[in-house]
Amino acid sequence: MTPTPKKSAMQLIALDARRVCAKLGNDEVLHGISLALLRARWTSIVGPNGAGKSTLLKALAGLLAHSGQVALLGQPMARMRGRDRARQLSWLGQNESSADDLTAYDVAMLGRLPHQPWLAPPSAGDHAAVERALRATQAWEWRGRPLGQLSGGERQRVLLARALAVEAEVLLMDEPLANLDPPHQTDWLLMVRQLVTSGKTVVSVLHEISFALQADALVVMNHGRVTHQGDCADAATHRALEDVFDHRIAVHHLAGQWLALPRI
Amino acid sequence: MKAFSALLVACFMAVAPAHALQLTDDRGVSVTFAHSPQRIVSLLPSLTESVCALEQCQRLVGVDRYSNYPASVRSLPAVGGGLDPNIEAIVALKPDVVILAVSSRASQRLESLGVKVVALETKNHADVRRVLKKIGALLDIPDAAGADRLWRTIDASLSAAAQSLSPAARNKRVYFEVSRGPYAAGESSFIGETLTRLGVKNIIPASLGPFPRINPEFVVRANPDLMMVGNRSMQAMADYPGWSGLKAVKEQRICVFGVDESDVVVRPGPRMAEAARIMARCIADKS
Amino acid sequence: MSRSFTRQHRKAFWLAMGLLAASAALLLLGVSVGSTGFDSALAMRRDPQALLIVLDIRLPRTLGAWLAGALLGLAGAVAQGLFRNPLADPYLLGSASGASLGVAGAMALFGVSPLATSWLTRLGLTGAAFVGAVLAVLLTLLLAKGVQHTLRLLLAGVIVGVVLGAVTSLILLLQPDVMQAMQSFMLGSTGFVGWTACAIMAAVFACTMVAAWMMSHALDGLALGEATAHSLGLALPQMRAALVAVLALGTGTAVAQTGLISFVGLAAPHLVRSVVKTTHGRLIGLASLMGAVLLTAADILARGLMAPQELPVGVLTAVLGGTYLLWLMHRHNGRGSGL
Repeated sequence: MTPTPKKSAMQLIALDARRVCAKLGNDEVLHGISLALLRARWTSIVGPNGAGKSTLLKALAGLLAHSGQVALLGQPMARMRGRDRARQLSWLGQNESSADDLTAYDVAMLGRLPHQPWLAPPSAGDHAAVERALRATQAWEWRGRPLGQLSGGERQRVLLARALAVEAEVLLMDEPLANLDPPHQTDWLLMVRQLVTSGKTVVSVLHEISFALQADALVVMNHGRVTHQGDCADAATHRALEDVFDHRIAVHHLAGQWLALPRI
Repeated sequence: MKAFSALLVACFMAVAPAHALQLTDDRGVSVTFAHSPQRIVSLLPSLTESVCALEQCQRLVGVDRYSNYPASVRSLPAVGGGLDPNIEAIVALKPDVVILAVSSRASQRLESLGVKVVALETKNHADVRRVLKKIGALLDIPDAAGADRLWRTIDASLSAAAQSLSPAARNKRVYFEVSRGPYAAGESSFIGETLTRLGVKNIIPASLGPFPRINPEFVVRANPDLMMVGNRSMQAMADYPGWSGLKAVKEQRICVFGVDESDVVVRPGPRMAEAARIMARCIADKS
Repeated sequence: MSRSFTRQHRKAFWLAMGLLAASAALLLLGVSVGSTGFDSALAMRRDPQALLIVLDIRLPRTLGAWLAGALLGLAGAVAQGLFRNPLADPYLLGSASGASLGVAGAMALFGVSPLATSWLTRLGLTGAAFVGAVLAVLLTLLLAKGVQHTLRLLLAGVIVGVVLGAVTSLILLLQPDVMQAMQSFMLGSTGFVGWTACAIMAAVFACTMVAAWMMSHALDGLALGEATAHSLGLALPQMRAALVAVLALGTGTAVAQTGLISFVGLAAPHLVRSVVKTTHGRLIGLASLMGAVLLTAADILARGLMAPQELPVGVLTAVLGGTYLLWLMHRHNGRGSGL
């Protein structure tokens, strides 16, 4: 990926949420969330179970009915056509059913759907994008294997490649590290850093707090509300993080990185 | 010696209880009655007709919903069908005996409730005669006055129907379709036997069984002179491809039996002579 | 483009070729099998009656079996993709029960009144079956309040199927002389398929195939989950509605012409997937071919095994398809992977 010069003059907002409320069934899960996520940054959303993180991500991706407004790259999402939104925003869900019968290559190619004219076969550009995405997740070697024959971690990498193949400006990922072993978790980390350097926006929901602290910004949620927003290096963010988890964790600095360790 | 044995038999006859009845039905079950049943429920139309043919209609207290001949049975309480009899209604009528088909599922239930059941099956001409005799025995009507006399009448009518056909009409090749499928009546079926008795040939040989489901192509090859069709076969609606070229179709030599006529023709019971007459009339008309 | 990427494509290509070749062979065989068992089609040149039999009866029947099988295979692939359920078959939305009710009702009413009779004669039993199938699907859609919720659709389909089946049973009970004819419908038969029926099925097959192929991307997207499919910008409600229409039309036509033939719609996509793993664009076409071959083979056996008696085709499709699936399952058991 060719690096583009950072947009230092104007910090554009990738996703702008205003008073977003959402319900799951009869329960209010999000209570009037207002959030501005900056472009070319990696933002992590953290919080205890049931805080509404996945719901917020879905609302930001336009996959959930909600009240309030969400704007994607300056445009109100409600008025965008599905395909236009799909070209600019890629979403990777948690525990989504997987197409066991498709090969890894075919699954990754599905990520190109927003770019393909309705009845056209994949173009050379599509194939190139899929190859890039599969190589980025180290899945290129076994691209001909059906998903049903892959391990959990390998499958996750293919799904990740699918999300990458969209080559969208904004990437929303819900628990992207599920089933991944440490080397591949590190690979994911490096890949996200590279994406951000090249100008893409990444928003992830992670329950691996130490990985979440590697991001540029942190959004802390509890009970359907945002309790804190700030840079990952800030002490205030660390205190808010410890606070939301009832001080059962402590944030430490080690080898140039921030770590969350259990407070025993 | 002869006189002595005659005296012995006479003694036994005197000692044996009067009107005691023992019958083995078609399941092989032996049923005993203290006296001839006066309250009878019938769950098969042909058995209903047999009881009435032996002039004991008044003994019927209940029939199945499909029994419709003679007209008097229509006013009797209907206790369900052969496949789904209303056990409670039957028992409430307090019958002395229930006569039904061997295939009925009610036999065991009724017997466990203490109701006597006689199961009879009529699949061909010989069966009709046998069942008439059994019913005659059940109704305690001596054979000479009842079953045998009735059978002789039926037999004579059958012969008369056969003779009413001109020699040209005989040896016609006939195809009888029982229902859509096509399911045909073979030589070994009840209808097939009547056709044989009338002297016509059935295009379905006995080797195929009584009601085979045949390939419509077979009928085209056989090219019957005459087709007989029950109303339920819906000939008008079911158009088998390739049949428009059949001789019988082109010359409209098709008899379609209406609902009432179908009832007569299809039931293996005492009206089989009338069935033969209906079929003979069809053959004579369409020859 | 690397080797393994095209490996599945090549497999798909060869499978298609194989199935087309099998179709041609079965067509030839079907024309030769009839009421006298195997009967060479060469004989027809000398015998005008044999020629009539081959042209008017055997050819449309065999072709009809192929087309009906293709429709069912297509509908099966669509149903399994739409409901994301490998056990889905084309009759899920109640079309089978609707068709049965249509036929049973028509048979019961025939001859009851002259008005009903003339109406029914014009409609024909095939018309009654088709109308019944389509109405049943509409009823399902009504109960499910649209196509949005897959689970609700499935549930509504099951309910409609059960209720209409019960009504059909009731009619059969009240008119037991219809039962034997209904049996021939319930177990399926190509005996009523003439050239008109073939033309109708061919036209419907062409339409549904094109429509399903155009929606194949939606089916692929759905395989990844509804949320992901939505995030890829697929217009799910419209595509789902179109796919349900394809299901209703395809199944209704097949059932109207040949009766209820089970297992073809269920087995054909699985049989294809056991050979090649591919996206819905190719799967739909291959499943149609597979279904066509399966049904044609079963029909030939049904006609030839006990000639001139006919066995019900539905029994043979189950035997053929089921045996092969069982063998596949047995073979895969060792490897531990799913079908």
